[in-house]
Amino acid sequence: MQEEAGYLPVPGAHLYTVLHRVAEPVARVLLVGPFASERQNSYLPWIRWSRYLAARRIEVLRYDYRGVGESLGLFEDMTFKDWNEDLQFLTDWFASRTPSLPLILHGLEIGAILAAKSFDGGVGDAMLLWSPPANANQALRSTLMRWVGLEQLLTPGAERRSASDYIRKLELGLPVEVEGYEWSPRLWSDSFHWELPSFPGGEQDAGSDQRGVKTVKLPKEAAPLVKGGFVGYDEVKNFDWLFEKDAEWIEAQALACGEGRR
Amino acid sequence: MMQSIEGRELITLDTFGAVVRGTYHRPPDADADGYGQQRVGMLFLNSLSLPRAATGDSAVYWAESFAEGGYPSLRIDLPGLGDSDGTLPVELLDFINAGGFASTASDKVKELVERFNLSGVILVGHCAGVVSALFAAEKCVECRGLILMDPYFHLPQAVRPKVRQKLSDWALHSTTGRIASNLYDQLRQFYRRLRGSRPPVNANFALLKCWKDVASTGLPILLLKAPARKACGTKPRTGEFDYLQYVLKLAGRRSQVTVNFVEGTDHSFANKVGRSAIRQHTENWLKVHFPKAGETDPLANRVRHETSTNEISVPTTSHS
Repeated sequence: MQEEAGYLPVPGAHLYTVLHRVAEPVARVLLVGPFASERQNSYLPWIRWSRYLAARRIEVLRYDYRGVGESLGLFEDMTFKDWNEDLQFLTDWFASRTPSLPLILHGLEIGAILAAKSFDGGVGDAMLLWSPPANANQALRSTLMRWVGLEQLLTPGAERRSASDYIRKLELGLPVEVEGYEWSPRLWSDSFHWELPSFPGGEQDAGSDQRGVKTVKLPKEAAPLVKGGFVGYDEVKNFDWLFEKDAEWIEAQALACGEGRR
Repeated sequence: MMQSIEGRELITLDTFGAVVRGTYHRPPDADADGYGQQRVGMLFLNSLSLPRAATGDSAVYWAESFAEGGYPSLRIDLPGLGDSDGTLPVELLDFINAGGFASTASDKVKELVERFNLSGVILVGHCAGVVSALFAAEKCVECRGLILMDPYFHLPQAVRPKVRQKLSDWALHSTTGRIASNLYDQLRQFYRRLRGSRPPVNANFALLKCWKDVASTGLPILLLKAPARKACGTKPRTGEFDYLQYVLKLAGRRSQVTVNFVEGTDHSFANKVGRSAIRQHTENWLKVHFPKAGETDPLANRVRHETSTNEISVPTTSHS
């Protein structure tokens, strides 16, 4: 297996991407990963998931959102629209590499919303979603709550701010810094409108156009892929209980796509 | 996909057995190949399990800033972390605290110095990254200096017992809890006085020895301290052992340790105030200890024991 990291030029920026190449792949999976400060917490299991899939002959492309991690761009200037356009660019690029292979989208939390938007627009042969929120605001709000909790540990009583204080600030048009990322008021207001498209059938079923869709609400044990857990402890634990089932589901989707194309 | 864009290059280091990936931030005036022209480079090591971008991508900001200032800067993922290959031990924190990454980090320094034509490197570590940086510095003749952000010198537990966590929450959120917490601090303080200046039993004695060996050689060290709960400046919370005072004594008379306290930030230094303060303190320190060709030390004729109070700074103490 070969991991090829590089920068892909997109209009106005360069996106950091890692392609997990495999010999004779059976499918391709585009991973739409953890958003902003979630990236730093869940990076290790996310990479292990990429490698787990690659070891099963599934070619994987993962990337950092524009303005986050190794990608270029200023986070505070970004909008969900920019991130959505980047995803369209990447799906086109990835799909054009080996057009004959099934393309599966996989998103985590806000990444699940972005993946689902693309899928809803006709991209991909199947889609796997881990813990998608109803809208992006739900995910931002839970990140804010966690950060405020940590902030309160350091701040003396009188100076302590609640999550509502920060939300009010955003609603008044002022930016708020959360775990090193500056949230713009626009990010906050837009987040209400970035909703998860509905796919009939729900868990482990086919979408209306018979493309496979699986939605999994990750349990607490999946931390740090979901919020909670202990930093420096949970990242290294065994995730095979989660990976195995979903890798099998991806393989089954790839097989079904292959048969459908024959 | 491109390996190199303006100012940055993705790198893979594959000698000495471990495949390590990272990012090189090229100074604008680097030579045609983009390499270091025998300058001192800055190498950022991972903090615990964080990828090389660190919290809020703060390490990207610092590396980019220092490269712009003429210091080639590198961020790598140690084996098993970030994008690098390798398997991590389940007890990651214990592994790091025992200097588990020291040999690899030291090997990678050699590789980087050769590959990028550097005169040596300054190792930069934050939190658990400090432990790796210190243990690596001891093994590494190419290490020219250390930047240590919010270090710890004890052996923390990876997972706090639930009862302790609940007690902490209670102490934080209720008036009675706060009173009990203050009382507890006073009791600890009393116990601490009985013990004298000896470090507590959960001190990382191997790390303290390593610090002594490294700092006493006169290696320039910049130590940056973040505010902590119930602490006052660089002084610890009542009842806690004053590791900073202890290690400064351990460092001895020949040492060149500069200590800066950064207000208005948290342990990660990732907010705007923290980032700018780290950048400013580091740039000042670099000018003193690693001036670029043709640059003189602006502080050379000034007394180093001072308190500066500029916009983002902060009471500054120097121990030289």
